[in-house]
Amino acid sequence: MAESKTTDPAATEAGEEKDWTATKAFFDSLKTNKPRPPKPQYAVTIAVSSRSLFNMVAEGKIYKEDGVEKYVAYQQEHDNEPLMPGVAFPLVKALMNVNTRLRRLYPDSDELFDIVLMTNNHAQVGVRLINSINHYDLTIERFCMTGGESPIGYLKAYMTNLYLSKDGEQVIEAIEEGIAAATTFASRDVENQLSDTQLKVAFDGDAVLFSESEIIVKQHGLDTFFEHEKEFENKPLAQGPLKCFLEALGMLQRKFYAKNERMTCPIRTYLVTSRSAASSGVRVLKTLRSWGLEIDEALFLAGAPKGPLLQKIQPHIFFDDQMFHIEGAKEPGTIAAHVPNGIGQKYHKGIFIEQPAKDTT
Amino acid sequence: MDSMVRNPDVKQRDAAQAVVVAVSSDAIFDPEVEQVHGATEPLRKGDAFSFMKAIQVVNERLLTLNSDETLLFDVILLSNDSEEKHSRIIASAKHYGLDIGRFCFCNKEDSIESLQSNEVKLFLSMDTNDVCKALQKGVPAALLYHQTDPNHQTEDQLKVVFSGDVIGSSEEMLHGLREQGFTETQLQGFKTAKGSVKEFAILMGEMRRRFGLEGSPLCTGLMTVWSSRDVCASALKTLRGWGLLVDEAFCLAGAPRSPILNLGFIGNTMKSSTYVKEGRDYSMYYGLEV
Repeated sequence: MAESKTTDPAATEAGEEKDWTATKAFFDSLKTNKPRPPKPQYAVTIAVSSRSLFNMVAEGKIYKEDGVEKYVAYQQEHDNEPLMPGVAFPLVKALMNVNTRLRRLYPDSDELFDIVLMTNNHAQVGVRLINSINHYDLTIERFCMTGGESPIGYLKAYMTNLYLSKDGEQVIEAIEEGIAAATTFASRDVENQLSDTQLKVAFDGDAVLFSESEIIVKQHGLDTFFEHEKEFENKPLAQGPLKCFLEALGMLQRKFYAKNERMTCPIRTYLVTSRSAASSGVRVLKTLRSWGLEIDEALFLAGAPKGPLLQKIQPHIFFDDQMFHIEGAKEPGTIAAHVPNGIGQKYHKGIFIEQPAKDTT
Repeated sequence: MDSMVRNPDVKQRDAAQAVVVAVSSDAIFDPEVEQVHGATEPLRKGDAFSFMKAIQVVNERLLTLNSDETLLFDVILLSNDSEEKHSRIIASAKHYGLDIGRFCFCNKEDSIESLQSNEVKLFLSMDTNDVCKALQKGVPAALLYHQTDPNHQTEDQLKVVFSGDVIGSSEEMLHGLREQGFTETQLQGFKTAKGSVKEFAILMGEMRRRFGLEGSPLCTGLMTVWSSRDVCASALKTLRGWGLLVDEAFCLAGAPRSPILNLGFIGNTMKSSTYVKEGRDYSMYYGLEV
């Protein structure tokens, strides 16, 4: 088979460099001071779906009841009506704020957040989505609208660091492909006091940052778990699906520390775990240390409910693998996203449960 | 001087109503490195083979919906091969059951004239130079992409992707590029490309409308490689105005395009011009992505 020019890797790379140069030229030529998007291989890529970025509940209803053709027609008719903000909207604004601070300190660096709209929506809905992005002046320059097909292939291609979607099945697919992902849910309409100067990200520990130990709890109970954790205190836990995302956040945090901005760092991370500091908590801290990762605040609840504590923290997003905790977080209005990993999702309090109901709004 | 041979195995289309597409023989059949004189076995499949099959599926589905349909793809195979290879090419097309209406055998120098006289709506080749020359003479042309991911080779759906950078370009955008050092010739090239894409886009829009949103054998898309999202939005609206409602849209803003194209798109880009400004080398990609 003749080797075609387009499959030569050196030629592809050269072509990519030219595309990149052309992009820089284009953005430099713009009259508006729109910052150009970062080079993907250096950026921390956060892919959000259209339904997590915007509130499309009413439109979703039309899709379910009247079918795809009516849904697309409806969106086209309302092209110029901006959509209302969705669950991931505050997170996106917070990411943009971090970028502003980073650009000030490192004007030539591509180590920034790159927010990408990754949706299986039809491209004709795209006009309304872009108009909405313009309305809120969001810095989202990259998007993939796949017209019904799964966006998973594109997530992989762009080395996505985190994928947020309302579609639980796509999130599972992403995790199985090794991409950090979480399912967002419609949040309660509660007055949130989210910080607009500091991005706050909260993580559950087991089955989110770490892996393996939750299996012991679910299959053998808590006592066995405590014994096991004490015995293996010095052995680092295996990585959970969001470990690499925490790592990416840490990388950006260190850029602020390097410029003496530790006290005013616009990124803050929290560990909110059911483990107790006294018994099973040590292994967690030692694991983080062995990974060279820092977490700003580690909160060990020893089984107490997470809701009230999260209400105090007011994170822009909280990741947990158990729907029980997600519900508990949502109740007082915390933005919570479910990480479908491991055995936690199949069991609750030792009893096998049905899969979480799909939020199709 | 060319020699046009009708394919007796394929029902001839009404060329005035059809979407006449000329495809280079070297794209359909593997151009053999060594010419074996007197060889008679069918030529090996080339990189654009699955593309040919996809076109066939679209035609078949169109005829299923309406047996009197005239808006079909009408494929001309363009060959610059030596005379002794002609019969082998025709036999190979028959062997694979390819939906090729006519074979056009001519010298390389006469190719452009043949394309013009046959009122080809699009010329496809894997050779950048051939595509460049055709475009310069006003023949709509595009480079055929070789799908590299074997897991995503699609023979049952034809994916046609248009370049948003060209279609979404505006006077204001061109003015900005002028300030960046692009010459008038290059900027004019943009406008020409936009014009030559229009006719094909209108035809694709009409053809796409024969099918519903889901389960269509023809999938249309838009890709903006280096412009901003506003250019992409502008391209979406322009295409809408031309009657083409694309299914998929990608705004890359400088991100690598190959992952998208390798995921099952047959994409063409035309490297229209290269120029140098203050030692930096810019390449502008424009044209039709098919």
